[in-house]
Amino acid sequence: MATVTTTAPDTRTFSGAAWSWITTVDHKRIAVLYLVTALGFFVMGGVEALLIRAQLARPDADVVAPDRYTELFTMHGTTMVFLALMPMSAAFFNLLLPLMIGARDVAFPRLNALSYWIYLFGGIFINISFVAGGAPNAGWFGYAPLTATKFAATHAIDFWALGLQILGVSSILASINFIVTIVNLRAPGMTLNRMPMFVWMSMITAFLIIFAFPAITIGLVLLLFDRYMSTSFFLPAGGGDPVLWQHLFWVFGHPEVYILILPAMGIVSEILPTFSRKPLFGYAVVAYSGAAIALVGFGVWTHHMFTVGLGPIADTAFAISTMAIAVPTGVKIFNWIATLYGGSISFKTPMLFAIGMVAMFIIGGLSGVILGSPPVDGQVQDTYFVVAHLHYVLFGGTVFGLFAGIYYWFPKFTGRLLHEGWGKVHFLLMLIGFNLTFLPQHMLGIDGMPRRIHTYSSDMGFELWNMVSTVGSFMIAVSVAVFAINAIRSARSGAISGSDPWDAGTLEWTIPSPPPVYNFAEIPVVDGQYPAWDAKRGGGNTGAVATVPETLEGEDEPHIHMPNPSYWPIVMAAGMVLAASGLIFHQIFILLGAMMFGISLIGWIEEPAE
Amino acid sequence: MKGRLRGALNKPIAMALLLMGSALLFATACGATPQTILEPTTRSARDSLDLLKFVFWSAVGVFVVVEGALIYVLIRYRRRSGDGLPRQTHGHTRLEIAWTIVPTILVVVIAVLTVPRIFALAQGPEADTLRVRAIGHQWWFEFVYPDLGVVTANELHLPVNQSVEIQLESEDVLHSFWVPKLRGKLDMVPGRVNKFVITPESTGTFLGQCAEFCGIAHALMKFTVVVESESDFAAWVDNERAPRAPPASEQAKAGEALLASKGCVACHTIRGTEAAGVIGPELTHVGSRNHIAAGILPNTHEGLAKWLSGPQDVKPGNFMVIPELSEDEVESLVTYLVGLK
Repeated sequence: MATVTTTAPDTRTFSGAAWSWITTVDHKRIAVLYLVTALGFFVMGGVEALLIRAQLARPDADVVAPDRYTELFTMHGTTMVFLALMPMSAAFFNLLLPLMIGARDVAFPRLNALSYWIYLFGGIFINISFVAGGAPNAGWFGYAPLTATKFAATHAIDFWALGLQILGVSSILASINFIVTIVNLRAPGMTLNRMPMFVWMSMITAFLIIFAFPAITIGLVLLLFDRYMSTSFFLPAGGGDPVLWQHLFWVFGHPEVYILILPAMGIVSEILPTFSRKPLFGYAVVAYSGAAIALVGFGVWTHHMFTVGLGPIADTAFAISTMAIAVPTGVKIFNWIATLYGGSISFKTPMLFAIGMVAMFIIGGLSGVILGSPPVDGQVQDTYFVVAHLHYVLFGGTVFGLFAGIYYWFPKFTGRLLHEGWGKVHFLLMLIGFNLTFLPQHMLGIDGMPRRIHTYSSDMGFELWNMVSTVGSFMIAVSVAVFAINAIRSARSGAISGSDPWDAGTLEWTIPSPPPVYNFAEIPVVDGQYPAWDAKRGGGNTGAVATVPETLEGEDEPHIHMPNPSYWPIVMAAGMVLAASGLIFHQIFILLGAMMFGISLIGWIEEPAE
Repeated sequence: MKGRLRGALNKPIAMALLLMGSALLFATACGATPQTILEPTTRSARDSLDLLKFVFWSAVGVFVVVEGALIYVLIRYRRRSGDGLPRQTHGHTRLEIAWTIVPTILVVVIAVLTVPRIFALAQGPEADTLRVRAIGHQWWFEFVYPDLGVVTANELHLPVNQSVEIQLESEDVLHSFWVPKLRGKLDMVPGRVNKFVITPESTGTFLGQCAEFCGIAHALMKFTVVVESESDFAAWVDNERAPRAPPASEQAKAGEALLASKGCVACHTIRGTEAAGVIGPELTHVGSRNHIAAGILPNTHEGLAKWLSGPQDVKPGNFMVIPELSEDEVESLVTYLVGLK
């Protein structure tokens, strides 16, 4: 085997180990950083949700004060979308894309580290607001003009707007990196139509991020102008229009839903074939329906605005495009069921979560069709019916899908299996708790309970379902605790998984768990959609490797050239967030942050590649 | 073997429970839920409900078929000992075309039923339509009848079987006007004017609530709509047009005197007195309303006393500024306000 060239720090001491994580550019370690951080924020967002549910359990309750309540639902949404679910998907992109396409790392390893550090610092930055004068409190959607200085005089909204800008930079950088990786670093023979479905969905998600984030970026820039420079982009008194914000937000916000769900769809599309021992049914249709969802997803945004009064013609057009998007979504579900049909289905924990995702997402999709009809939407918009719908999509769909992925690839991250029995306990508790929490919320919407209210009186008839919902939410919390204990124990002392515990078909299962730093000692040659199955079952191009020149000019021995660790990404990220914080704390930070950014830019450029 | 079977059954059982649960949910819809969308009293609200029912039952149909297929496949094809490698199917073009076309037909049907109702909801006024302006404030509703010369707050009176055009405006941030039994919601957007026309068909008092997050007291921004006979409505209008009823007792007179000394006049209007503020709700006939504080407290002696003793306790964050009042002062003000029929 070839030797590995890299100047890694000595990880035997604590400081050496810490330094090795701080300077790492290894996509697998960055994936671990993303996953652990995202799970941490997931727990934070969950605690915020529990406080919301505790307050709503009884009428006229006084568990949290109304001002705190507005902070909680704003930060619950913001945290779950930007700090928990998106980064959890990013963890899977990081771990899996190079492994699945037969590459040694992502295209830009230092940029990858930069994305992570910006995300971490941005997440901390937003949450500092809790102890620095009040957290954001205008909803995760931040509708103007409630975000204007006149109605929000503290820095809460500035934390939110600047924080989202910071996180947007992280997402866009990561997406560019993933797209270049997928386009350029595939192993020989890995054509687009042989890529694992997860890679397809990741690529579509990355494109969605690149096209969707500029809309909210512009919206936030205009908002900051309104707040810092007294412009009136969203203020009618100065000739602006609050509805402009809604357009900019939802042109981003609706594709964001698909940014959150497509990775989970990709995960499920890997797991269902493995545990039914059959290839994905209708591969091309599943891939193209993902692309169709993404494309049409840019043309449905005003279905979030059916009650704004845009007029019957706009409502009709967007109702029709919204109905249309149900078709490719339905097609995906039929293809998944057809994948199971005729298979040999084993109910391991990853499979249970994947099936749970399909079953729950169906409900979210169907309630979405109900909401897509404007006359119906007029009654249920901004009620708990919508809260139920979005959680069936983003929890029943995304969270179940992501947990399926965690159970499935945990062995690839750690070399150990998560405990099966506790995994099943986690699944059952979460499935029941989830349905107890959100199914009754449909009913609350029908009963006329608006969203985002911190209390309701006892004569409204909302008591029963709110109590059931709160009981369910605490059941979810127990299930997450079961998972956390299982994960910590299994990471230390779980059963050794070996390279291929599930008899799976994609490339990442052909290399050891956890993979060596260079992933593939020899770059494989691919000639099918399931190269690992082909190799094990004796079909296809078994075991062939590419002849990649490993020797640079002037060297005698073949080397695997791996990128060196670098501390410039973390310095650059810190400089960026420091500069942003200058708009809130003191202008001097803008200067200091810009200097840090500039110095790290030069350091980055001057850093030797070898 | 037993473990596998149990694994295979977990899903179906959960699904069956889910299905029964959702049926139960819809069946028990008609409890004591005064703000339900299931009891429409106008054509607009009925249109929305009819469409909801159609789409809901279509969705239930799809749910049963698709989840049923999922459960069947999971049970039928669970792994058994001695299973070989299953047949490796990659796709089936005709089948895939079929399951693209079937949902397409279903959504086309829904769209065809939806579109005419969108336009019906947007219909304009007729010649004899009564006009009302509804203005959203943080956190109360103002109602102005421009043709009748009436201004009131938080309690909208409408004559039955008379078409009404409600014109929605906002004084500050976004709000939404929503009376589920009369119509789906429509937002109150600062700088814009939204309008809709409805014809209430039955008399009664209907609950409404702001449905767009508008700040800290969003949950406490409610109102009622009183639909009454033509003669009752005419009597109400006559009463509203009149100036305030003069104080009937010494205590009430003391109450009126407090309006100026406690600063009430800066924000509230009580026609017939020096109170002519336009920031808070108009109070000339506040005594005739069912609720105060935007539908939060009953308009009783106790309710008013509670409000005047601590408006920030009842509705945290609201803009009413009032100096601390002695018990006597509260009594006088309450007696005065109760008399403003």
